Amino acid sequence: METLRKNRTRLITLAALAFLFVTALQGMESEDWAITVLRGLSVGAVTFLVAAGLSLILGLMDVLNLAHGELFMVGAYVGWTVYVRPDTFIDVLPPLLLLAAGLALMPWQRALLSRLSLSPQVARLWPWAALAAALATLALTLPRFPLAIWNPDAFAQSPGAFALALDQGTLQMPAAAVFTEIAPIAGILGVLLGGALLGAAIVGLGLRRGGGAPTARLPRRPLLWAAALAAAGVAFYAGNDPLTAALFTMNSTARFFLSMAVATGVGFVLGGLIESTLIRPLYDRPIYQIMLTLGLSFIGVELVRAIWGRPEFTMPKAALFNGTGDGCPAVTLSDLLAHQCSTILLFDGRIRTYNEVFIILVGVIVLVAVWLLLQRTRLGMIIRAGVQDAEMVEALGINVRRVFTLVFALGVALAALGGVLAAPSIGLSNDMGTRLLLLALIALAIGGLTSFPGAAAGAVLVGLLQQFIIKYGQIGINLPFLAEPFKPSPPLVPASTVLLMVIILLILPNGLFGRNE
Amino acid sequence: MSAATNPYPPSRSGWLKNNAGWLALTLLLLALPFLAALLDGQTPANVLASETGNAKFMQGLLIEVFILAIYAISYDLILGVTGLLSFGHAMFFAVGAYATGIALKTMGWGLGQTLLAVIVASIVQALLFALVLPRVKGITFALVTLGLASVFSIVVRSSDLAAYTGADVGLQGVIVPALLNTNTARFRFYVIALLATVLVYLVYRRFVDSPTGRVCIAIRENENRALMLGYNTFTFKLVALLLSSAAAAFAGMLHALHQPIVSPNVASLGYTVAALLMILIGGVGTLSGALFGAAVFRLLEFFLDRWFGEIANSLLGLIYIGLVMFLPYGIVGTWRARSFQIKQGWDRLLRLLHLQHRAP
Repeated sequence: METLRKNRTRLITLAALAFLFVTALQGMESEDWAITVLRGLSVGAVTFLVAAGLSLILGLMDVLNLAHGELFMVGAYVGWTVYVRPDTFIDVLPPLLLLAAGLALMPWQRALLSRLSLSPQVARLWPWAALAAALATLALTLPRFPLAIWNPDAFAQSPGAFALALDQGTLQMPAAAVFTEIAPIAGILGVLLGGALLGAAIVGLGLRRGGGAPTARLPRRPLLWAAALAAAGVAFYAGNDPLTAALFTMNSTARFFLSMAVATGVGFVLGGLIESTLIRPLYDRPIYQIMLTLGLSFIGVELVRAIWGRPEFTMPKAALFNGTGDGCPAVTLSDLLAHQCSTILLFDGRIRTYNEVFIILVGVIVLVAVWLLLQRTRLGMIIRAGVQDAEMVEALGINVRRVFTLVFALGVALAALGGVLAAPSIGLSNDMGTRLLLLALIALAIGGLTSFPGAAAGAVLVGLLQQFIIKYGQIGINLPFLAEPFKPSPPLVPASTVLLMVIILLILPNGLFGRNE
Repeated sequence: MSAATNPYPPSRSGWLKNNAGWLALTLLLLALPFLAALLDGQTPANVLASETGNAKFMQGLLIEVFILAIYAISYDLILGVTGLLSFGHAMFFAVGAYATGIALKTMGWGLGQTLLAVIVASIVQALLFALVLPRVKGITFALVTLGLASVFSIVVRSSDLAAYTGADVGLQGVIVPALLNTNTARFRFYVIALLATVLVYLVYRRFVDSPTGRVCIAIRENENRALMLGYNTFTFKLVALLLSSAAAAFAGMLHALHQPIVSPNVASLGYTVAALLMILIGGVGTLSGALFGAAVFRLLEFFLDRWFGEIANSLLGLIYIGLVMFLPYGIVGTWRARSFQIKQGWDRLLRLLHLQHRAP
């Protein structure tokens, strides 16, 4: 009874929302409402993937990451590359891995360099010399690595043309590129050396500033990491052709799942790098984080435009969701699995397997997985405690900074997964990130800013509302005092979600599921 | 935000002496069109007659800087001084611009009535924001104001009101009275915009130095403590909102007169973000930083676009990140926090170059 009284406003709001939902269902034919609800859930699932990361990052670190939408977009474009152009993906791997191998030596270099005692002049100057040498080496070697890539400026070579060819099954991979002007061994060693020099320069600049007590032993783990990364880079270089052929002839369903995994991984690494290099110095200057992430989002859009071009293009669906012919549209589950149909019959209406079933499925899986991570693991316990009071967690002897990096990386990985998941249904464009960020922010505000279940509920609510307004825009609402049915015009779609947010925030300032503070 | 220890020195003795730098800057800006004209081979009479040339073009660019400066400083008053994070500031500007455009173009009113309409509109919208003020705080206030501003933006874009707002194209060709026509009397407009900027800055500084403004700073630092001391914080926030709304709407009015087009872009989220960037560049809560920030923002945007074209936006992004990293509290904020170290570094540089023998 006590909890009932305390949460009275919240319960009344929820009841009002449920009533609205039921009323909205009543006004439609059964096939219409089924498809509208499924579409709403699908939009909600993608929004949730972005909102979940935003809410974790905002809750734990108090950083409003305005670049999250652009990271969603980067995930989509990376996933597209792996799916449509696996040769480019394999070509990019060796230089990146070799560079990472050089940079992985940094802890070892720090231990080594802190033992040297140099005169102040030398100590001040050598990092800059190392930096110049590193940049020169990299400038000589990196651009000469073989890279077979599309060309957004020529139509026949543009990403859109490749996507179309893959969809029609006429895609021919362009000829593999080879090293120009320099010997392959020189290129490989050059990038490795450049990475190591760059690492040394960064370490040197850091030592000059703060220094650090020399450690007793040289750490051995960085050496192992560097060796592993370098070996992987060389292996990818040596096995380039067979790997490309294997990926290209692979079942497109498997390649699609691979592209999802790669996009998520890239998001994870990118998130970790952004947090540890750019965001970390700004934890005590909250407003400036907004400026930094805003700058990042500008750069993200321009980078995508430079590499993939401005025009929108599509990502073909994998074979698992693209079957037509006999047995389709599927009526039973066994039909669906046997013929891999692209559509399913539900209440006499056709729903698309990928857009309205698979996306929701992945959204639910991620929801459950992250929920289990938060509630059932030690890491989740630390995160939940950190959301409440990060300082206290640090005082208890937990390395909360490392958890920050991990959560940021996880959040970005979820956004990137959302990007590659949404790409086959909404296509790839330069402004997909901005649009989704706004939707995710609204969902977050409705659900309660730092609450994870709130992010899920808000995302579903926003998706449903949006799709219902769109559907009613087609069929019209019969309002009591109007002769003609009222048809919401297209601008009302964004306005309705925003209005819902404003109303809910005015009734419940902490959102539907936010804690009272 | 608490970078500068005491950004508002209380001393008011020797006002002219304390503000000699500002006075010189104002005079320089007043003389600048003539200097540019002389370099270009024109006479001052050409400038007064608004003849085309570099001088006229430069005045146009600087008028835009002045308008943005008023807009940015009005944002600094609520965000930097009072500590209200609003994401709906573009609406404050756009309401002024649209009120001017509708009054002049659709209604055919005179300048006085238009000014009155802008003032009324600015008060109404400040009261609208004040309506949600007691309910929501912090980032929730930011999101609610973002919502209000997006609803406004959607309304002015919607085709139902096209007769008044011109929907997606906006108000093209606002009929500007001859007194303030920026095409035929640009120097007059330039002087008016410059003096308006100076006036707004002086009024704001006086406000921040006044007891009321001090309470606003106290609210930024710790609202609960200000409440405990017996101040009705809502009143003070309302005053700050009203002042900010008035200046922003005035900037919007100047914008509508100068362009003379009111495009729906001024109501978009991007325009709020621009204000935020300007005061972040200049230094949050410093007032004068907003002026410098607006100048840097507009000139950077203009010249990067002219010199680099396509890649200007990514360069802008890189510059913003660089500014955050190397000027941690904006131009003015960092100068105030580190002026001693900067002077020391300057001396060291001079010594290194053997221009100065010994440290003073």
